[in-house]
Amino acid sequence: MTGKTKDGKEIFKQSKIYMPIPQQNGRGDRMGRGPYEKSGMLRDTSIPPHKTVHETFDIAFPMEDVKRGDKIEKVIKSGEMTVDVELWYLPYGNKQQDPFLWHKYTKDVKVTTTGK
Amino acid sequence: MRRFKVFILIALCLCIPVLVFAAQTGQTKKANSIDELAKMYDVSSCKMCHEKIYNEWAKSLHARSIYGPETSGRTAATLKTTIINGLMEWPHSGVKKPEDVKVEHLMICAKCHLPQLQDATDKVAQEIVKNVYAFTAGDEKAAEQLEKLNINCLVCHNRNAIIHKWADGYPEKDAVYGSKDGAHPAPMYSKLKKGPVQKEAILCGQCHGLGPNFELENPSQCATLYGTYLWAYTAEGGQEKCQDCHMHKSGLGHNMQSYRSKEMQKLAVDFHVEVLPHWWRDGTKMIPQATVKVEIKNRAGHAIPDG
Ligand code: HEC
Ligand code: HEC
Ligand code: HEC
Ligand code: HEC
Ligand code: HEC
Repeated sequence: MTGKTKDGKEIFKQSKIYMPIPQQNGRGDRMGRGPYEKSGMLRDTSIPPHKTVHETFDIAFPMEDVKRGDKIEKVIKSGEMTVDVELWYLPYGNKQQDPFLWHKYTKDVKVTTTGK
Repeated sequence: MRRFKVFILIALCLCIPVLVFAAQTGQTKKANSIDELAKMYDVSSCKMCHEKIYNEWAKSLHARSIYGPETSGRTAATLKTTIINGLMEWPHSGVKKPEDVKVEHLMICAKCHLPQLQDATDKVAQEIVKNVYAFTAGDEKAAEQLEKLNINCLVCHNRNAIIHKWADGYPEKDAVYGSKDGAHPAPMYSKLKKGPVQKEAILCGQCHGLGPNFELENPSQCATLYGTYLWAYTAEGGQEKCQDCHMHKSGLGHNMQSYRSKEMQKLAVDFHVEVLPHWWRDGTKMIPQATVKVEIKNRAGHAIPDG
C-alpha cells in the first residue's frame, strides 16, 4: 500500500507478504525454495480459509519546518493525500514475471489545515 | 465318453496358464519411450464423444503437468533445477550427471506431476531429462514432447480413480470410473464403473499435498494445499469439495483453474478498506495521519496462496 501527496510524491510505502515459508530439508532456520529441498514449515503467513486477516497502517501527512519569529514550528505541508491499496498475487514473488492484480482501492482523503 | 472328459480337462489346464500369462504381461509391460507412455494413456479417442470436456481439460495445467504454464514452462524448468541443485548435489543419490537420472529420481516430482511414470522404464526418465534440457535451451519440439505426458482423463477416471485398492479393488483396465455402473460405448473402455471417490476431495488430495512426502527415499514437498483443506477448512466446518468450487461454482468444468483465471479470482477473497484521516495529539506534538484498515477474507477451501 502507498500514500501519495497531490504532486504524486510517495510518502509511504509498505507491503505485507502472505505465504507459506517451508523449511529447508526439515532442519534449521533456513527457508527452502525448490520442491526438492522443501520439507516442513518454518512459518506460515498465508491467508487461512474462513478467516479474515486485518491490517492497520498509519500514514503521517508530511510536515515542514516553518520559521515563525524566533521559533521553528512544524507545519503540515499539505492536508491532502491519495491512499492506494493493492492486492497482488505474485506466483514468482515479483512483479516482473506473471503478476496478477486481484484488487485495487484508491481514495483521496483530507485533514483540516486550520484550527487548534 | 470318459476319454472325452479327460480331453476337456487337459485343454483347460493348457488354457489357464496362457490366460494368466497374458494378464500379467498386460499389467507389467512398461513403456520404453515418451511416445509409448503417451500411447498407453492415449485420450485422443475420448474427444470424439466428450468434446466439450476434452477442450476444457486441454486448457488446464493438468494437461501440461510436467511442462507447467504454457507461457513459462516453469515445471520443466524446475525439473532441471531439481537435477542440478538437488539430485547432482546430493552425494548419495547416485546421480553424478543428467544421464544417471532414473524413474526413481523423477518420482520425487512425478508422484503427483506424472504418476504413470511408474509404468515406464528408465529409458523414459532419460528421454524426459533430455527434453527438459533441450527445452530450457529453447527447443520448441522438446516442449511439445514434454506436453504429451500429462494428468489426463485416464489418470483421474482410471489409474488414480481408486485410492483404497485393498478395500475397493484395483482399477480395471477396460473401465472408466464415473458416477455410476453401466456400459460405456468406447472401444477399449467398454465398462462404466462407479468411482468410489470421484466426487470426494481425496481424489484431488492424493496429489495436492499434505507436507513432506515421507514415502520417498529423499522426501520432496511441493503443494501442501490438501493439508490446509483438511486442517484449516474442514476443521472449521467447511463442507464443500474441491469439485464444487473448481468445477461447478466456477463454471469451468474440467478446466480447473486458480489465481490466473477471472472466475477463480472472483471466488477467492473479499477485500475491504477503510481510511480515517485525523489529527493525533501527543502533549504538544500534533500529528496529522490517515489510518488505513484493510480486511481480507479468504473464501476458498484452503489457504491462499499454496506454496
Ligand atoms: C463412442 C463415444 C464415447 C467415447 C469414445 C468415450 N466415451 Fe465416455 N461416455 C460416453 C457416453 C455415451 C457416456 C454416458 C454413459 C451413460 O450415461 O450411461 C460416457 C460416460 C463416461 C464417463 C462417466 C460419466 C459419469 O456419469 O460420471 C466417463 C468418466 C467417461 N465417459 C470417460 C471417457 C474417457 C476417459 C474416454 C476416453 C478413453 C471416453 N469416455 C470415451 C461415450 C463415449
Ligand atoms: C505431493 C504432490 C507433488 C509433488 C511430490 C511435487 N509437486 Fe509440484 N505441484 C503439485 C501441485 C498439485 C501443484 C499445483 C498446485 C499448487 O501449486 O498448489 C504443483 C506445482 C508445481 C510448480 C508450479 C507450477 C506453476 O503452475 O507455476 C512447479 C514448478 C512444481 N510443482 C515443480 C515440482 C518439482 C520439480 C517437483 C519435484 C522436486 C514437484 N513439483 C513435486 C504437486 C506436487
Ligand atoms: C484432474 C482429474 C480429472 C481429469 C484429468 C479428468 N476428469 Fe473427468 N471428472 C473428474 C471429476 C472429479 C468428475 C466429477 C465431477 C462432479 O461430478 O463433481 C469428472 C466428471 C466427468 C464426467 C461426467 C460429468 C460430466 O461433466 O459430464 C465425464 C464424462 C468426464 N469427467 C470425462 C472426462 C474426460 C473425457 C477427460 C479427459 C479429457 C476427463 N474427464 C479428465 C475428474 C477429472
Ligand atoms: C494425479 C495428480 C493430480 C490429481 C488427481 C489432481 N491434480 Fe490438480 N494438479 C496436479 C498438478 C501436478 C498440478 C500442477 C501442474 C503444473 O503446473 O506443473 C495441478 C494443478 C491444479 C490446479 C491449478 C493450479 C494453479 O497453480 O493454477 C488446480 C486448480 C487443480 N489442480 C485442482 C484439482 C482438483 C480440483 C482436482 C480433483 C478434481 C485435482 N486437481 C486433481 C496434480 C493433480
Ligand atoms: C470453497 C471453495 C473452494 C474449495 C472447497 C476448494 N477450492 Fe481451491 N481454490 C478456490 C479459489 C477461489 C481459488 C483461487 C485462489 C488462489 O488461487 O489462491 C483456489 C485455488 C486453488 C489452487 C491454487 C492455489 C494457489 O497456490 O493459489 C489449487 C491448486 C486448488 N485451489 C486446488 C483445490 C483442491 C485440490 C481442493 C480440494 C482439496 C480445493 N481447491 C478446494 C476455491 C476452492
